[in-house]
Amino acid sequence: MLSFQSSKNVLSLAEDLLFRIYELLAAESDRKSFRLVCREFRRIDSLTRRHLRVIRIEFLPILLRKYPRLQSLDLSACPRIDDGVVSLLLTRVGRGSNSPSLGHWAWGLKSLVLSRATGLRFSGLEMLTRACPCLESVDVSYCCGFGDREAAALSSAVGLRELNMDKCLQLTDVGLAKIAVGCSKLEKLSLKWCMEITDLGIDLLCKKCVDLKYLDVSYLKVTNESLHSIASLLKLEVLGLMACPLIDDVGLQFIERGCPSLKVIDVSRCEGVSSSGLIYVVRGHRNLLELNAGYCLSELSTALLHQMKNLNHLEVIRIDGARISETSFQVISANCKSLVEIGLSKCVGVTNMGIMRLVSACINLRVLNLTCCHSITDTAISAIAYSCRSLVCLKVESCNMITEKGLCQLGSFCLLLEEIDLTDCCGVNDKGLEYLSRCSELSCLKLGLCTNISNKGLSYIGSNCLKIHELDLYRCTGIGDDGLEALSNGCKKLRKLNLSYCNAVSDRGLAYIGRLEELSDLEMRALHKITGVGLEAVAVGCKKLADLDMKHCEKVGDSGFWALAYYSKNLRQINLSYCGISDMALCMVMGNLSRLQEAKLVHLSNSTVEGVELALRACCARIKKVKLFAPLRFMLSSEILEILHARGCIIRWD
Amino acid sequence: MDLKERVCDELQKEVPKGASSTNFNTQHQQKWEDPSSTLDYSTRIEPPFQAFNQTCQTQSLLLCNNQIKVPMQDGSINDLLQQASKIQDWDPSAMLNNLSFLEQKIHQLQDLVYLIIAQKGQVLGRPDELLVQQQQLVTADLTSIIIQLISTAGSLLSSVKQTLSAATTSLGQCGEFGGVVFPSSAQRLNDGVQPQNAGGSKVSEPPNSIDITSNNGNEQNNHIVEEHELKDEEDAEEGENLLPGTYEILQLEKEEILAPHTHFCTICGKGFKRDANLRMHMRGHGDKYKTPGALAKPTKESSSEPTIIKRYSCPYAGCKRNKDHKKFQPLKTILCVKNHYKRTHCDKSYICSRCNTKKFSVIADLKTHEKHCGKDKWLCSCGTTFSRKDKLFGHITLFQGHTPAIPSDEIKVAPAGTSDGATNKVGSVNFNLSSYVSSESEVQSSSMDIKGGIDDAVGYFSPLSFDTCNFGGFHEFPRPPFDDSESSFAFLLSRSCNYSQKSGEE
Repeated sequence: MLSFQSSKNVLSLAEDLLFRIYELLAAESDRKSFRLVCREFRRIDSLTRRHLRVIRIEFLPILLRKYPRLQSLDLSACPRIDDGVVSLLLTRVGRGSNSPSLGHWAWGLKSLVLSRATGLRFSGLEMLTRACPCLESVDVSYCCGFGDREAAALSSAVGLRELNMDKCLQLTDVGLAKIAVGCSKLEKLSLKWCMEITDLGIDLLCKKCVDLKYLDVSYLKVTNESLHSIASLLKLEVLGLMACPLIDDVGLQFIERGCPSLKVIDVSRCEGVSSSGLIYVVRGHRNLLELNAGYCLSELSTALLHQMKNLNHLEVIRIDGARISETSFQVISANCKSLVEIGLSKCVGVTNMGIMRLVSACINLRVLNLTCCHSITDTAISAIAYSCRSLVCLKVESCNMITEKGLCQLGSFCLLLEEIDLTDCCGVNDKGLEYLSRCSELSCLKLGLCTNISNKGLSYIGSNCLKIHELDLYRCTGIGDDGLEALSNGCKKLRKLNLSYCNAVSDRGLAYIGRLEELSDLEMRALHKITGVGLEAVAVGCKKLADLDMKHCEKVGDSGFWALAYYSKNLRQINLSYCGISDMALCMVMGNLSRLQEAKLVHLSNSTVEGVELALRACCARIKKVKLFAPLRFMLSSEILEILHARGCIIRWD
Repeated sequence: MDLKERVCDELQKEVPKGASSTNFNTQHQQKWEDPSSTLDYSTRIEPPFQAFNQTCQTQSLLLCNNQIKVPMQDGSINDLLQQASKIQDWDPSAMLNNLSFLEQKIHQLQDLVYLIIAQKGQVLGRPDELLVQQQQLVTADLTSIIIQLISTAGSLLSSVKQTLSAATTSLGQCGEFGGVVFPSSAQRLNDGVQPQNAGGSKVSEPPNSIDITSNNGNEQNNHIVEEHELKDEEDAEEGENLLPGTYEILQLEKEEILAPHTHFCTICGKGFKRDANLRMHMRGHGDKYKTPGALAKPTKESSSEPTIIKRYSCPYAGCKRNKDHKKFQPLKTILCVKNHYKRTHCDKSYICSRCNTKKFSVIADLKTHEKHCGKDKWLCSCGTTFSRKDKLFGHITLFQGHTPAIPSDEIKVAPAGTSDGATNKVGSVNFNLSSYVSSESEVQSSSMDIKGGIDDAVGYFSPLSFDTCNFGGFHEFPRPPFDDSESSFAFLLSRSCNYSQKSGEE
């Protein structure tokens, strides 16, 4: 507080300057430091903050009071959002206790993410839409209970422009009609897995919401009739038709003549679509930017290729699973010069020569997926590395013939590389990793099943690739504690780590893992050497841990679980199957971890039925998904099962 | 029946008012949309097929005539608007929307016609399907324009009618509307659809069929009316207004009406319902009945010379369809007589086997009902019901602001499942967490208050306040490892108590 008196430091800056400074802080951690400086700074923060993602519901009322100018609220990570909570927030939370400002926080809200809020029903949604007059974007994806009544409640948000209703399984045409009539300004709508939707609903939607720019009807049982309706949408730019089994070439013929603004189309996994259907699409839309036709073509036919010559603006093409000839690559590279991404996963006929022809002209390529193209060797990788200097992502899973030579080329030329998938490439060794570590931008590295790498290789990564945030070492049996030490010294930004079946890892290794403060996702199945000590180190150190999979870690004792229950307050998912956890520790873990939403509890050797029952009772208010040993179905009391069911929790019996 | 007849009366009264009376019918769009249904009926009642076709043609002709006028009518509508804007329950902004929509639509149409003209110039030698399609498109667009226009004006008129009856005279000034009279309310009732006022939002409900009837008994106009009234032949005369004495009245006796057959073979005596069937039967009696002349429809010949129109009277004394009634309304065909007599003066002996409540005296009516009985009712927010989902969606597509209504029984299910039983239970097993956690006085007080207001707010609330420890609350991850030791120990303790409690329960 002294600083206020001397007027020559940062605290004496005028408010508007402070606002400007604050706006320049990009990282959330920086903003956090900023607001911890003093009250004034905290006030700046609270007045400026527009977006809030709440992780623990108990802070929600305080946070909403604190940030009056919120425009975007993300509640998808909150364990239990339901009608009662919503009504509380709207009737009790405001600035001060005066009634006029109650629910004030909702007035300016434009975006609301309610994904996986399975407890929210129509009355809550009705209250929310009524309280948020400016609402423009709502995400209710994966709300299993979301049905027509909820849609009706939502449809009173007339200003809605974006709506995501993926996997709203109860939604039918009636609900969609409600939305279509009520929210006629809709521009973006996703209906993936809304299995009850039929052509009638889509037809009505296309007639009422003529401003639609983005429409995703993936996995729906809609027919060509829907495409006929969709073709009338003049502003449509993005159309997702993934895995629509009833759509065929005739339907795509409608698209040829309609949708004049179409830029992106996804027909992957559509069984009925063949290359002639794609010819229609390509013929009608010369300005297509993205064509996703994975797993629907048996072959990239010459007729289609001929039409594709005209797609001069094409940036992304995915033809996963198709047969492709070397000459096709020639045609693509000669005509589609602006290609940025090409997906050839599991394509038959991808050869070194083909790839060399492709990259000879497509030098802007940034993403290349060659998963399971088994005949690829270092020659192709070298050609890619040499031509595509701006390559960002390369996926060469199970391309066995790639060795350190290819990686050497990548490390020499592709310095922008951020993601590489080398899973199951047994040609990768320590030397290769040394070359690869020259790509200092690398953020995602997948080395699963690369049994030829050892601690030495990992140490190159640890010392050079400091930006890594995802590392997959699944079944890298050559990796031990020393490798993890190198890793923990360098890769401080690691968020996701897979150590499953790395048998050599022991408690000492886990202690190094505990130094990774950013780690949120740890998979360490079947580490037979680790005990409670290691788990404790992880729990104490990795404060952001949200997802922990420790199936088959049989030696971990209760002390580890107690530590877990005590420290890992942010844990959201846990897999304890085949662990020797006792009843008491199980209850602790399930009861004390207030953010826990998903648990797998199969074959717990040291637990009794009563223990599981109590554990479920302890967490029944917030758990959303639980996997249990099948015989327990008849041993657990029906009361707890009913409670879980009523709370919208999904139980999987195994 | 009473109601129906009353409406007929009203209609009759209205029609003579002259060209200025304007009657909007909003409810029978189904018939218009679905030619199959009219056909169904036509097979039942043997309508004059020729006339039917004719009407279609003449109607489209009439439509075209009208459409040419449409752009010109704008001015008069504006006049209308100005007059009506004094009336309060009319929404000018909605009107403006409608009008601008119309304008847009007309412009589109104009462009299309230009295009057609241009194409004609280019490919003269190819008058193919394209042109036909384009014409159809034009016709369809024009129809929708008219519908929109009339609905727009209709909203106005209805509000005018409601508020001050005097306004009708002023409306009469816009001559263009005078000619547009809709075959009306009687049909609405026939449809079994709820009367207009159930809709609530009449404004956006344009009528779907447009007919022009004027008073002078023009044959053409009558045909048009018929086309819409095929469904219920009894009311076919509604717009007819034949002057008494210009037609011959026949009256069949009760026994004759109820006889199962009307056509009898002169040779073997077998009875038939239809003359055509009799003629088919006659072929079996010898070659002389197989000549084209014998097989031809006998009425054909007579139609060449002018005949006196035949109309029928109901034998039931006091019935309005009886010739002695003061306001006698004749029945048009024998079939009309039969159906009328059975429906009105006989017992309803056919009971629907599904619902066991609906009774009918004409078996065809029962069959029609049974087709739809017990099926899902598709309900629109305006109160209109549909037997088929696609019909409902077609209706919703057509009318702005209408949405499908969700059946009310679902309402009961949802909250019962989520809040009542379940959360109460949850609350009961919630380890009394709220008892020790909350340091937030405000939160606590609110939980007290809400008990009254919201259903089991405590059930919702206790986990919410669980963990609300004494942090400033403005960090997102504020929990230093040992800060909350107290609470988690407390948790352990309280929980262990609860365990014993619960095991006691079980």
